[in-house]
Amino acid sequence: MSRRRATISFVVVSLALVIAFGTPAISQTPKAGGTLNITQREDLPQGFAIHETSTISTVWPAMPCLNNLVLFDPLKKTESLDTIIGELAEKWSWQDNYRNLVFFLRKGVKWHDGQPFTSKDVKYTFDMLREAPDAPAKLRINPRKDWYTNVQTIEAPDPHTVIFHLKRPQPSLLMMLASGYTPVYAAHVPPANYRTACIGTGPFKLKEWRKGEFVEFVKNPDYFVKGRPYLDGLKYIVIAERGTRTAALQSGAVDVAFPGETTKTAAEQLKKAVPELAVTPYSQNVNDNIIMNMKKPPFNNAKVRLAVSRAIDRRALVQAVHQGGAVVGASMAPKPHGFWGLLDRDLNALPGYGKPADEKPRAKQLLAEAGVTPQNPLKVEMVTRAIAVYVDMASFVINELKQIGIEASLKQIETAQWHATATRGDYQIGANLTGIGPDDPDANYFENYACGSPRNYSFYCDEQVMKMIEQQSQELDPKKRFAQVAALQKKLEDDAARPLLDWKLDYFVHRPFVKNLIPHQSIYNFGRMQEVWRDK
Amino acid sequence: MKSYVAQRLGIAILTLVGMSIVIFTLLRLAPGDIVDILFSTAGYVNESEKQAILKELGMDRPYWIQYLDWMRQILTGDLGKSYRYDVPAWEVIRPLVPVTIELAVLSIIVAVVLGVPTGVISAVRQDTTLDYVLRVLSLAGLSMPSFWLGMVIILGMVSWLGWIPPLTYVKPTENFRAHAIQFALPALAVGYRSSALIMRITRSSLLEVMREDYIRTAWAKGQAERVVIWHHALKNAILPVVTVIGIEFAFLIGGLVVTETVFNLPGVARFLVQAILWRDYPIVQNLVMFIAIVVILSNLFVDMLYGVLDPRVRYGG
Repeated sequence: MSRRRATISFVVVSLALVIAFGTPAISQTPKAGGTLNITQREDLPQGFAIHETSTISTVWPAMPCLNNLVLFDPLKKTESLDTIIGELAEKWSWQDNYRNLVFFLRKGVKWHDGQPFTSKDVKYTFDMLREAPDAPAKLRINPRKDWYTNVQTIEAPDPHTVIFHLKRPQPSLLMMLASGYTPVYAAHVPPANYRTACIGTGPFKLKEWRKGEFVEFVKNPDYFVKGRPYLDGLKYIVIAERGTRTAALQSGAVDVAFPGETTKTAAEQLKKAVPELAVTPYSQNVNDNIIMNMKKPPFNNAKVRLAVSRAIDRRALVQAVHQGGAVVGASMAPKPHGFWGLLDRDLNALPGYGKPADEKPRAKQLLAEAGVTPQNPLKVEMVTRAIAVYVDMASFVINELKQIGIEASLKQIETAQWHATATRGDYQIGANLTGIGPDDPDANYFENYACGSPRNYSFYCDEQVMKMIEQQSQELDPKKRFAQVAALQKKLEDDAARPLLDWKLDYFVHRPFVKNLIPHQSIYNFGRMQEVWRDK
Repeated sequence: MKSYVAQRLGIAILTLVGMSIVIFTLLRLAPGDIVDILFSTAGYVNESEKQAILKELGMDRPYWIQYLDWMRQILTGDLGKSYRYDVPAWEVIRPLVPVTIELAVLSIIVAVVLGVPTGVISAVRQDTTLDYVLRVLSLAGLSMPSFWLGMVIILGMVSWLGWIPPLTYVKPTENFRAHAIQFALPALAVGYRSSALIMRITRSSLLEVMREDYIRTAWAKGQAERVVIWHHALKNAILPVVTVIGIEFAFLIGGLVVTETVFNLPGVARFLVQAILWRDYPIVQNLVMFIAIVVILSNLFVDMLYGVLDPRVRYGG
């Protein structure tokens, strides 16, 4: 084919496509203006103090006010080292074989109260987070201190440079810094003030927080990204009643649902009622799992733990409890929702992930080896949080355990007592949910499986696993690290450290005119709203 | 009269003191506290950090000191600080009060406007088709929880009109029409249930009075039905109805939890439940005291009203 003919063919095909599908490039040009009404399922539990909480109820409405050093690209669904973009850091560079992480900060950035942003703010924030001996401030509650155990010192040689000195290489530190959990606080504002107000550098400034009603933001005219944000304002409306939330979405009184709230069934019903609604299924990075107290009998016996893991038909649970709105996976979110998930072949070979007809007899065999027989049955108490999503899962698991000869009674624990019960180990076996910030092994394993971690509710502690966690954390070759993480996932399931049941999906709903609000691989990382606009 | 009111107010103060002890004790008996909840949102618990927060909030002190401190705060007009919001409790409570009072008053107005006339008609037309229809309607009102009716109203609005009432509180000075619509629907849902009760009380009370000799005399004298019913009978039948209205109003101040939640109205009852879940003691304690004060005052008001409605009622010293 001659070059001219090829060019003509290309033009003809392009024109045909444009005629067939319209002109997306033109219609998708962002428009400025308008306010977005966004659902908030409860009032902000800790105000805007993201560093003092783990709940999405704080992270979601507080993110627009703040900025990170780096952030997962809001326009990309995938979260990885390749999709991290600069926010307060214009550039960054690894030095000394990944032992020093140098950030070059943007110039001319101002806090919402007019004070200049400098490297002092970054050092202040991260010294406070890692509880450095000379930290100028202390958080009341510091749930992610463990993320920064590898940071030795933080240096601010000039107002626009910050250096994180690490004890050992840790390439995925960037992943944690890019999470919605990791904003930079202002050094001149006491951390307690973020519980009632928000002085950030973010695209939106706090206008009003009417307790129990709404949080309203207005566009930050001094935002450091030219032309952003597109919207004039955001209004997060607190709607505590689930039925009213659905009605509000259906009627158009709100434009965006609360992340992590819409089940598959609810999304289908909404779509049927209002066909033009946009529904996007994505992984919340929240999993259902079983915690077994290894400090006490009978779950200090690995065979009993493994029997429990093998007894639970995960695929049936996904159908029965989540109506298909979840996916089966090991300790990292499965593909295509997560990057690190095991291949189906490897997953199906793990204990508990095979065919129920094969798994249940093996579970009974393991129990028999542990001395549990019909004459000597095992009676346990299963605890769970007194919230429907927990109780449904626990009830299903109890029924599965019954089939292999474990008699479990259900004890519901009120939210106020739930984490205290789990952390203290005042339980035998429990049905639990675990949310993970970024889709990264470091964020998950140090927090939930490392010896001595306060969120390691099973008290699982294995020297080999600790070495594997450390090893993958400092591995610089992505392929090697992937293989190491796969081996780690297999080891944890083989040990029934905290048997994973499924990874929940959210069916994120918004009105069709809401553009550039793209759910990521985790509910905690896409709330900045800087790129969002209304096509209306 | 004055000494009666003074006596009642004295008893009210004793009641409030007793109430304060009960609510203070019950809250501390419930498992968990605000610090447990705070850690719950963080997903872990650290004992030393927990102790530090308890100290910061003054919750490490003996209970009796905490109680006396609360009493001192009430007497000085300072309601303490919300544990959850870290702002003065009064700042949190103040905007809630008018919302709930307005909703309760409107609901009672709806209830009286619907309940009293239908009760009278039902009594006067006893055992007719109209009576049966009204009794069925009132029974339906008593059987349907107002929150369920509220949800049906909302879902009906969305399905048929593609519209729901405002989701955030609209002040009457901002937009009176939107404000009126925002309150009209929940007031109808709640008022309908209360009207059913009022209708039944009105009917039974009126039927009893209608059998009295003086009513028979009035009929014998050839007085018009309107005069007999509204001037002679209803005036004497209304006392139990007024009692029920007073009780209903007092109940509504604290009992609108689900209606406020369904219609997303930022009122006392909805907030009280949230505060209980968060173990936000200063908010819970002061809101319960507010509800108790309203109950006591509405009872006192009803008792005072007896004297106006029935001249035979005399207040002892």
